[in-house]
Amino acid sequence: MRSRRLLDIKDLRVSRASTIELDGVSLTLDAGEALVILGDGSSGKDALLRIIGNFSDRGQEATGTIQFGDGEARPAHKRGRSNLRTTYLASARVAPLNPHVSVVSQLTRVVANGLGVPGSSASEDLRLALERLAPALPFAALSKKSGEMRDDELAWAMLAAAVAQTPDLLIADHAFSGLTPTAVAALAGALADAQKRQGFGLAYFAEALQTAAHLRCRTIVLRQGKVIEEGDFEKLAGGQSHAYTKTLFKALPRLSEVTALRGNSRGEPLLQVQGLDLSPRGKKPSSASDAISFELRRGAALALVGEEGSGRRALVRALLGLQRFARGRVVLDQVDMGILSAAMTSRLRRRIAFVTGSDAALDPRMTLWDTVDEPLRAHLHLPRDMIAGYRETALKRVGLASHAAGSVVATLSGFDKRRLQVARAIVSAPFLCVIDEPLRGLDAFAQSIMIELLTELRKQEGPAFLLITADMRVAQALADDAIIFKQGKLVERGPLAEIMRAPKDDETKKLLAAAAPSRGPEPPAAPATIAAKPASQQAPVSPDELDPPILLDEPIADESAVTESPG
Amino acid sequence: MNPAPPAATGAQSLRTSLRILGWTGLGLIAVAVSLSDFLASAPPDAAAIGPLMLPPTEAFKFGTDILGRDMLSETLHGLSVTLRLAVPAALIALLFGTLFGSVAARTPVMVSLSLRWLLGILAALPALLLAILLIGLTARGWASLAAGLSAAPLGFVRSFDRASLQAHAVHTEYARATGISSATLLRRDLVYEFSGTLSTSAARALAAVTIILSTTSFLGFGAEPPHRDLGLMIAAAKTYYLHAWWTAAFPALTLMILILFARLAAGLDEGERP
Repeated sequence: MRSRRLLDIKDLRVSRASTIELDGVSLTLDAGEALVILGDGSSGKDALLRIIGNFSDRGQEATGTIQFGDGEARPAHKRGRSNLRTTYLASARVAPLNPHVSVVSQLTRVVANGLGVPGSSASEDLRLALERLAPALPFAALSKKSGEMRDDELAWAMLAAAVAQTPDLLIADHAFSGLTPTAVAALAGALADAQKRQGFGLAYFAEALQTAAHLRCRTIVLRQGKVIEEGDFEKLAGGQSHAYTKTLFKALPRLSEVTALRGNSRGEPLLQVQGLDLSPRGKKPSSASDAISFELRRGAALALVGEEGSGRRALVRALLGLQRFARGRVVLDQVDMGILSAAMTSRLRRRIAFVTGSDAALDPRMTLWDTVDEPLRAHLHLPRDMIAGYRETALKRVGLASHAAGSVVATLSGFDKRRLQVARAIVSAPFLCVIDEPLRGLDAFAQSIMIELLTELRKQEGPAFLLITADMRVAQALADDAIIFKQGKLVERGPLAEIMRAPKDDETKKLLAAAAPSRGPEPPAAPATIAAKPASQQAPVSPDELDPPILLDEPIADESAVTESPG
Repeated sequence: MNPAPPAATGAQSLRTSLRILGWTGLGLIAVAVSLSDFLASAPPDAAAIGPLMLPPTEAFKFGTDILGRDMLSETLHGLSVTLRLAVPAALIALLFGTLFGSVAARTPVMVSLSLRWLLGILAALPALLLAILLIGLTARGWASLAAGLSAAPLGFVRSFDRASLQAHAVHTEYARATGISSATLLRRDLVYEFSGTLSTSAARALAAVTIILSTTSFLGFGAEPPHRDLGLMIAAAKTYYLHAWWTAAFPALTLMILILFARLAAGLDEGERP
């Protein structure tokens, strides 16, 4: 017997002003079925989302028909109440919640509105849903405000609120975008389980393939308003018929089957870390065997891999002299950082560049040119014509030369801001480049271009790379060696090729499995950092406890020790 | 999903339109002031130009006052005096308020906190009383300086707090982590924060000091005859206002229009209202 049909769209055409957003799209979705709608920013998937979500849109002209559930097929331009209970799941990265009100009160209101029940009952529904989906995330943790929670914790909470409404149709709008592979794997697994259990239809709108790879369901690929490919994800992954889909799949960073052995052995030592102990003040120092020691040579690339909160950024802050450490020695460019004054440390940092996944890393008030010029003007005091020359070269290399000189950073897209960071790094001629989740929140093509730009940066300018990531694919694409972190401890280290060929620690295996879902077991259905204890024993975890979300996004909090496990 | 650049909202467009309207109005007032000697039919403080206490007529459009002065001419001259006092006062408020606040936020922590504390206290005092106190300590001739200095603390606090936010912003931390000096970060503030909001701050300061100067004159601490500003003209009409409304209404209306245009030019931003 066929499942109940939830959605039947026929020959949908949507235009805005003179632009055609959707051109003859037809699709169906049954109860208990999951559908991934894949496409880039100009594919028309946002227009489709607005139609399916029944969101009003004044500038939009639509033809074709749409039928929700057992209702009558109606013209697509007509909005009205759907006979389905539809819930909308947004991405935690777009800050969908009010930052001044606790998460629990907002989500309780969402559930209460969705179910039409009093707040107390909705709160209980939310608690039960969260307990079922993410037993390790205590309900009490939701009493924080959204800014105090990690993105993955917020994603779990919002997923619980969506599921608690017992929807007929769940629309996920890039819901897991920008999260770490392990978190995406866990969230997608939980979403798929809930969908099977409750039998709702799922329409997941995505720009990248990461979530689709975990959901493994029917997938349609949109391009310039048309469905260019449709089918089961496995089939699409096996072979794509359309050139665009082929490029889309190729554009993604992926784990190579064979990885050449690249060692951290080029040039003289740039960074030497000896017996570093990052125990917070007032806490017992780590034992001598737990202290960190490693070396990064000039031009080499080292990845610090781990989940959010694993202590990678605490280590980087200490290495750059931005955070004091209890014991140990850090030698950067043959200078002992421990004996330098603040002014001298600042001077040394002039040849360090950052490329981060945070759009807030650049001053939003500055213009495009000024952002690139600033390091040259501030550090080298070069004449204007030379600055212009360097700037032009850098902007050409990253593909931003055609942008207006006065474009303000705040008005640039996320991808443009990311490329602008690379341009700023290029003119800085750095000896060390700290790269922090550089692909976060980018679509497949943008990810591919970013990897090319960073590879080119390393090739041309020759800086050493210190890469912070939770994605083994990114580590493999950009680094030679890796150190794996887990809950403040260093659990594995060595050349990436070796680590990937024969991972020793469970954390490494989990990170590898999350990066390539088809190659290994599915990771556990809850974030590792909060899964260590049963829910009843689990204290609420502060996002800053081990590792703040972005290197310098938040005030540096009391950091837990980052230690290397014995043996 | 790569977020699209933000589009201008309806509210922003409306605010821009109001700003343009405000600056246009201020421009027209400036033209009227610069041509006041030609537009006015009588010199400043010229008595017995017409009958005493004549209501508005064809010949005397704003009427005449108790000394037979042409109120239209007097209002134009009063507007001119008001602006001659207000413009330097607004510049002083900008210099010691907005600009100083931007710079102070980047000074060493102890200095910046002390300045913020001290100016915060001054900002808590009514600017009008502060102006009267400063006039008392100096002289009436220093009314512009007194008005500018008394309006400055609120501008300082506002500017300081904005600059402090920038000083602790994520992008500033990243800049510091790549060796960008405090001087360069201050330059950023001056280029983007101060200059970017200069016109708004100037219009806001002009509105604030105009209110302060007119009120001090009304109370008898500001302008002196024969150089009567609008506040002093309203004060002079106090005794017979109930019988001859035009003697106070036209100067008051002119003052209101001046302040309204200044506030519109500032985008209806509140700010240093005394």
